[in-house]
Amino acid sequence: MKRRVVITACSAITPIGYKPSDIIDSLLQGRSGVKPLRDDGLLTQHIHSRVFGTVDYPIDYGFTRKDTKTMGPVAFYACQVAKDVLAASGLEQEFITSGRLGVSFSSTHGSPTVQRNIYKTFFSKLPSEFSSIGAVDYLKSMVHTTAVNITRMFGITGRVIASSTACTTSSQSIGFGYEMVKYGMQDAMICGGADEYDTTTVAVFDNLLACSVAYNDRPECTPRPFDIKRDGLVVGEGAGAVLLEEYESAKRRGATILGEVIGFGCNNNGGDLILPNLDGITTTLRLALKDADIRPEDVDFVSAHATATKMGDVIEAQAIDAVYGDKPLVTGLKSYMGHTMGACGAIEMILTLYMMEQGFIAPTLNLESVDERCSMLNHVRNITRTETKIAAIQNFAFGGVNTCLLIANGRNAGV
Amino acid sequence: MNRDELQEKIITILEDDFEFANPGLTDNLRDDHGFDSIDAIELLAKIETMLGFQLARAEKEKAMSIRTINDILDYIEAIQAAHPS
Repeated sequence: MKRRVVITACSAITPIGYKPSDIIDSLLQGRSGVKPLRDDGLLTQHIHSRVFGTVDYPIDYGFTRKDTKTMGPVAFYACQVAKDVLAASGLEQEFITSGRLGVSFSSTHGSPTVQRNIYKTFFSKLPSEFSSIGAVDYLKSMVHTTAVNITRMFGITGRVIASSTACTTSSQSIGFGYEMVKYGMQDAMICGGADEYDTTTVAVFDNLLACSVAYNDRPECTPRPFDIKRDGLVVGEGAGAVLLEEYESAKRRGATILGEVIGFGCNNNGGDLILPNLDGITTTLRLALKDADIRPEDVDFVSAHATATKMGDVIEAQAIDAVYGDKPLVTGLKSYMGHTMGACGAIEMILTLYMMEQGFIAPTLNLESVDERCSMLNHVRNITRTETKIAAIQNFAFGGVNTCLLIANGRNAGV
Repeated sequence: MNRDELQEKIITILEDDFEFANPGLTDNLRDDHGFDSIDAIELLAKIETMLGFQLARAEKEKAMSIRTINDILDYIEAIQAAHPS
């Protein structure tokens, strides 16, 4: 059984906005969501990188205590975007609780905020402080807290997949959700990822010399994917969710079709857990094309992973060149908001859907002078008005995990 | 703490921390206010803080039969009686 899988709703909380109109406006205006790193009272004083992709606007969650008692900050993000996609989808409650809808959602490592509160107990000299570990702290902090808080809030009884693979968390979530629907295991899946404000992630990349440090006084000037003056990634926060549905049933119920997932490639480098791997990445891109049964020249736009690390961008450019040549437009969307970690694949897919729908492609922000080693690509340097029929969303993670999702414009679904 | 003082404190906790609306002493905690096993564990932690000492496991297990606010008050009074200091 192989079924077509369409995207019928999406929502993203990002450093450049929450409402689609705000996000689109930020892309059109070249507005960055990178801000000074918030002080956590502990690690920030030791971290060299002082920038962060920041969600600094209020969000009206409207959750009750019944909902929130098992939720850390990351689950607030996750449940909010899941709530949005269910509301936009128009799915009947009977279907939502039928077992035919599943959830494929996760985060890099649950809720670091809650985990930090738990660890405080280790440093307490007062026995009474032991009770500061709450009975629900595990539920709030565990790796699959986002997925199961979504199931709990909406009474979803289908399958749960919680793929926590760092930067490929949500692209794997979408890919695995796509396969669930494609092969008939589920009729619909809520897919995505989220990550909350967390300085431990910044500290790790900082210690690896992979974080941006040269633009601390000008946060909006970093990250700079593919630029000669790039100096590393910027960690960020956010969430993204998409609803994937089997095409025939979506069409039957008159759902709005935003796009179609037509292919998914995923593999592992099988070796080094940190360094980007040209063979591994190139193979992933080709696996996705094979899964979609399309030619490289059919792809109009590549949303590059493009974290703005010195070697990562070069290796990715070589992979894109090897597979696609210079035909597709290429943008590194992290230039607008930093690296939202477990949420990045979903957010970058949603931004791509917005741009497809609006008929434009945003340029890579801060790309002033292309690194010669990345110059063989068709970089987007200005707002480009164009119809994108097929786009590739690429993400690569610590641990050597690579993903590529191929999506078709919603206007072409049903053709 | 006498029963009236206890009642005032417990109702404040239920209203402020558990979002109870108009709690009645004989209301069924689960059916009328959606109070579940997670809430019960959280409430026990708050009772420990209020009393200023940790409850023994056997004492905590006795709390699982609580159904109403009156039951909570009975439970705390029994605990206080068992810990006269």
